[in-house]
Amino acid sequence: MITGAGGSAPRADTASASVARRLSRTEIDATVRDLLGDTTNPAGRFLAEDEFTPFDNDYTRQNPSAALIDSLEATAGDIAARVLAPATRSRIVTCTPTGPGDAACFRQVIETVGRRLFRRPLSEDEITAYLTLQSFATENNPTVPHDFYTAVGLVLRSMLQDPEFLYRLEIGAPTSQPGVLRLNSYEIATRLSYFLVGSAPDDRLLDMAKADALADPTARRAEATRLLADPRAHDQVHRFHAMWLGYRAIPGSTDLLAAFNTETTALIDKIVFDQPASYLTLFSSDQTYVNALLAAQYGLPAPAGGAGWVSYGTTGRAGILSHGAVLAAFSKFSDTSPTQRGIFVQTRLLCNVVNPPPANVNVDQPPPATTSMCKLDRYAAHRSVASCGACHNNLDPIGIGLEQYDIGGKFRTSDDGHPECPLDGNGTLPGYGTFNGPAELGQKLIDSGKLEHCFVEHLLRYAVGRALYPEEQGAVDTLAGGFKASNYSLTDTLLDYVASDRFALRTEDAAP
Amino acid sequence: MKKVRLSRRTLLKGLGGVAVGLPVLECMLDRNGEALAQSVPLPKRYAIVFAGQAIGGDDWADNTSIVAGKRSTDTAAFIVPPETGSGYTATLPLKPLADLNLMGDFSLVSGLRIPFSASSVDASAVPAAGAFRDFHGGGAGPLLCGTRSQSSSFTCRSATSDQIVAGFNKPGSIGALVVRAQPAWYLSGSSFSGRQYISYKGDAAPIEAQVSPSIVYHSLFDGFTPTDASARAQHDFDLRARQSVLSLITDKRTRVLGTVGATDRTRLERHFDEIRDLELRIAALPPVTGGQCQPPADPGPDLPVGGNNAGSGSDTIATNTGYSDEGTRARLMADLIHMAFVCDITRVATLQITVFQSHMNVYPISSALGVPIRADLHECGHNGDAMTRGQIPVSTCLQWHISHYAYLLNKLKNTQEGAGNVLDNSAIIFMPEAGHGQQLNDAMSANATHSVEKMVLLVAGRAGGLKPGRHIASAQAHPGQVLISAMQAVGYTKNTFGEVTGPLPDLFG
Repeated sequence: MITGAGGSAPRADTASASVARRLSRTEIDATVRDLLGDTTNPAGRFLAEDEFTPFDNDYTRQNPSAALIDSLEATAGDIAARVLAPATRSRIVTCTPTGPGDAACFRQVIETVGRRLFRRPLSEDEITAYLTLQSFATENNPTVPHDFYTAVGLVLRSMLQDPEFLYRLEIGAPTSQPGVLRLNSYEIATRLSYFLVGSAPDDRLLDMAKADALADPTARRAEATRLLADPRAHDQVHRFHAMWLGYRAIPGSTDLLAAFNTETTALIDKIVFDQPASYLTLFSSDQTYVNALLAAQYGLPAPAGGAGWVSYGTTGRAGILSHGAVLAAFSKFSDTSPTQRGIFVQTRLLCNVVNPPPANVNVDQPPPATTSMCKLDRYAAHRSVASCGACHNNLDPIGIGLEQYDIGGKFRTSDDGHPECPLDGNGTLPGYGTFNGPAELGQKLIDSGKLEHCFVEHLLRYAVGRALYPEEQGAVDTLAGGFKASNYSLTDTLLDYVASDRFALRTEDAAP
Repeated sequence: MKKVRLSRRTLLKGLGGVAVGLPVLECMLDRNGEALAQSVPLPKRYAIVFAGQAIGGDDWADNTSIVAGKRSTDTAAFIVPPETGSGYTATLPLKPLADLNLMGDFSLVSGLRIPFSASSVDASAVPAAGAFRDFHGGGAGPLLCGTRSQSSSFTCRSATSDQIVAGFNKPGSIGALVVRAQPAWYLSGSSFSGRQYISYKGDAAPIEAQVSPSIVYHSLFDGFTPTDASARAQHDFDLRARQSVLSLITDKRTRVLGTVGATDRTRLERHFDEIRDLELRIAALPPVTGGQCQPPADPGPDLPVGGNNAGSGSDTIATNTGYSDEGTRARLMADLIHMAFVCDITRVATLQITVFQSHMNVYPISSALGVPIRADLHECGHNGDAMTRGQIPVSTCLQWHISHYAYLLNKLKNTQEGAGNVLDNSAIIFMPEAGHGQQLNDAMSANATHSVEKMVLLVAGRAGGLKPGRHIASAQAHPGQVLISAMQAVGYTKNTFGEVTGPLPDLFG
């Protein structure tokens, strides 16, 4: 397993450590879209890029800064102005103000919007504090245009810059186990919603939280079932895969990238949601969803009707490892990298640790020159150097088994531009034997039994927002056991996790 | 809960008073125009303009290239001219400076070197102020802060020069203005991971740069009070509104911090501290226009951020991927730094045009300069475009970076201040990421872009007696010595910087 978090994690067998996690850019965008109707993805425009490790929600990489605070102020102002435009403001101001000083209507907006943005009801003191902003609507100031909505805008700006909006604060209450804290229903609602749909809890979840109904595992399971039917859950699963498998942003023409995206999301949706099957089919599916462009790219028959499922037949392709999106990730700029693809399989699919090259290796230069122009000869010469081979023997032979597939997923039988350098597609998955091409590699990975475990590890890592502590291995094992017992149903596994006692618990993370 | 709205001045009193930036006005000067009345010296400015690239290409000797398949040797392609002293050749990367008649306004320091252990790759073997033998990360720390690196991570182990200068040279509530032109990392398999920092408060304490010219504009210039009466009324209203919005948040500080655990208290305290800092900046007395200080035009909404890179050598790299018009962004940032200096809102700035190990697509910028390179900036140094490699493509990208430096210098030079101009009262550094010497990792390969040998820094301005206009060929001085000189030129009284000791006296003539 790959661990990244330092320090120790007491009680990790029972609960995962958590801290105040800042919403990622994507989460802020989704939240203001769902709660305020702002569909313009404002966070991406103003806030600095999230770090990806490989997920964008790693709280150990989140640091406040003056730049962040300035950007948040600008973002909040930008959102408030859009949300309160005359054509759209009735979405959050549902009462009709009788005038700039309509305190009842103002209070109603504060209560409604505050509950959504803070994911809990506001206290009377808090409401009173926000009510003071109404003076900006009512002040005697003939030269400055101001009205009821001016004050609403200020409420929005304040709430959107508030740490209670930006951070998911989890506190919890002590349990009989020292150090283990039980989340309250509002905290559970928030955890549940951001995990499954990447956005804030909706009114129904908040209502359930008010009734403290989410402490009940059965209720959590029912709500999770409801959320998984939401298109946003599909998006969330797509995003998870794009980050896990490294294809969240890949080079290519617009048309080709769109086709890649359609292909990969179609396979995920089919297996996970539409025709639920063993999740491992993702790596062995004998069909793929292509349009004419992609069919030509892969050398497959064009589907009838422009786009549709076609069989791979005996092409040697199967599953997601044959997809252009995945083959484009982990490449060099102009060509595939057998080493990078080896690292991909070892770290993302088998959860093995790959150490970086020793410091004194000049990694800028391609493997040492030989008389041969052929790439694989150069890689072989490189591996014949003992100090290189020690690591590269565990990496390159994997990528070499995928060499017949270029960075756009096209099939080839020789190096680009070098017909004298044949590629036979024969590779080795160290410890598991030889294979040829993505179909055989996919099957080898499935048969290894490690793929399912590594997938679950990444899932938990995404859920907790950081690399796992070694002490969380037991939690991965439990989750992986359930995954297998469910015949590899991803949705069942998500439901089991949400319904588990662990999901409602936390410990304090000592490392900020 | 009681809510009291404080006037700005009351707030200021409560905060212990915040100094105010003032532009230099004629009436404030002494008779010689060299200092403010009452012998207060004119403000001294310090800036670093950073380029995330080396000065030469892998495996190509200085000045040798292949462009569109044609080999050539050109003694004026490498940034370092053959002559030393004044009146030297304006080499290819320096062309923008020559075009603006700025060759007499900066000195080029060549032959700089960060030490490293040639015999060991152990962290413990890294010499003082030296580089851990793993580029890029190993070279970053000693270059930026003069303290040895201990790993391949991108970090600094002590404060960077801009922060040190801002510590003693801060006119108002804003310390160093830290901005960056390249807004995105452009690669899918990785992320910035520290490559986006050139400013550090101290050991492992990076300062996030602002990448939005629009936000920089508003944070610097919204504070000016308009002269028009109705605009002033609106301004006053907006200012009060901003303060009330923020105080509703900071009023919660104690309550929120009281409910969370110890780790979260630390995390959230830092967030609240930054909001408090914004409040202080807003509460500071407004800067004053006058003389050369006129708030620039609003740059408007930020330019779109380009998509991810299409990859070196590929046909699709010609499309607008991996590029967010960093050129325009850098110019906008330079405009804002210029006026922030002129208005004395801040005296220190860093402009990171491109990040360490930058994967910005250079096709658009190099095409505009007549040498189309189908690669990103990092791969350009590593022969990413098979047909166009070596010195000329690398120098072309460097020229692009230097054009933004030249733009800033030119604006400072053309802004009168006292008897001279603002550049006279400045020390402005241009800092490329790497030199062109022995490869740092293997300590063997020559002519490597991943090298901390044969490094170059440009130092512009005449602050503190700097004597620009010359090529100074140093005998392996540490880049930190150049920074010590520049810092001393703006008032630094110490002789050390991180683990580096002593200036480069040649810079003062």
